[in-house]
Amino acid sequence: MSLQLIPPDINLDFVGKRYFFVALSTVINLAAIFLLLSVGLNYGVDFVGGSVVQIKFDKPTSGDQIRLALGVLELGEVTVQDFGARNQNQFLVRFEKVRNIGSLGKRIEGALNEKYGSGNQAHVLRVETVGAKVGHDLRVDGFLAVAVATIFMGVYIAWQFARVSWSFGAGAVIALIHDVLVVSGALVLSRFEFDLTTLAALLTVIGYSVHDTIIVSDRIREDAAKRRREPLDSIMNRAINETLSRTILTSGTALTVLAALLALGGPILRPAAFTLFIGIITGTYSSIYIAAPVVLFWERGHRIKGAAARAA
Amino acid sequence: MALEIVTGRGVYRILAAAPLECTSVNVVLTLAMERADGIERVVTRCRVARELVGEPPESDAIIERLKGWLAREFELTREAALKAIRSERRLHEIIFDQANRGPF
Repeated sequence: MSLQLIPPDINLDFVGKRYFFVALSTVINLAAIFLLLSVGLNYGVDFVGGSVVQIKFDKPTSGDQIRLALGVLELGEVTVQDFGARNQNQFLVRFEKVRNIGSLGKRIEGALNEKYGSGNQAHVLRVETVGAKVGHDLRVDGFLAVAVATIFMGVYIAWQFARVSWSFGAGAVIALIHDVLVVSGALVLSRFEFDLTTLAALLTVIGYSVHDTIIVSDRIREDAAKRRREPLDSIMNRAINETLSRTILTSGTALTVLAALLALGGPILRPAAFTLFIGIITGTYSSIYIAAPVVLFWERGHRIKGAAARAA
Repeated sequence: MALEIVTGRGVYRILAAAPLECTSVNVVLTLAMERADGIERVVTRCRVARELVGEPPESDAIIERLKGWLAREFELTREAALKAIRSERRLHEIIFDQANRGPF
């Protein structure tokens, strides 16, 4: 007996519910835009510039005591964050605008050891600094990378599916913008750090999402060629149901791996794993409920315009 | 004592970040690699078999022996050290023994 997770004759009505899901997606995207503009992403040192110092103490301490000890150095605004498990006694200290960067690690170690004494030694394990201009340039380049990737993929898909309809490209671009907004909104809410690794994960989400969109679009193109007399929404629904098994199995296996990374990956991998996790869910969703309805709206609009022009 | 090495990322100072730890079998040196302008510091550990170092073991002598090796292997060592500190929250350890004598 073969294993069938999705019955081969499955016939769910995806297209019929498109208005509800398009409305839902619109609300979510508007909320994401609001969050991005009001709260903003939690940019890492790569994008804002500044210094990050990783410190290990021999015994437990608190962020407030560290901040107090570092006050004497007059290094500007300081953020102290617990890093790792409690018994590791490690902290990340961030400085956005260090007034004097020279021998930062040594000065911090000296100030902390003077405050804590020999009872609780501080060891500076790592100091990393990114200049403010570099941070700004990386932010601009990161945004451009996402925008250019999205546009080029939309243009390519529109060209490849031109024989059926130019709107496939528009559907793909709108689906990608939707995915980026949803993932960005999730990152704002989660307050995960947005660094170069998270940006790479976001670009991976775009690649994954467009791949899924192409699978569905290609099946629509294939079925449209075979069933010329059938209405477009019926063809679309059939195509989505036919690719559902492949979509769910591919997404499901990827999500299983990502769930493991989220749970066990540690604080460095967690933001990227979270980005990919949300991105794969929304990428799968947008291929069905965003890209396909856009094509349908476009085609219906053109047929109505054509019919009105002939009647006039 | 801090020695300087010239790397592709600029001049780095190599110095002992903690007192030398000696056992009957090994000598462990906690080493800090600090960029001369202070914008970067990475700490790593170096475990050397006792028979490869002189008696009594001294941090300065070991750093002097490591200098040339570190200058050649800097990128890999720096990358491994940063990765260990960031992801595993532990210090990367370089091991030198009879099978892998390195600069000793």
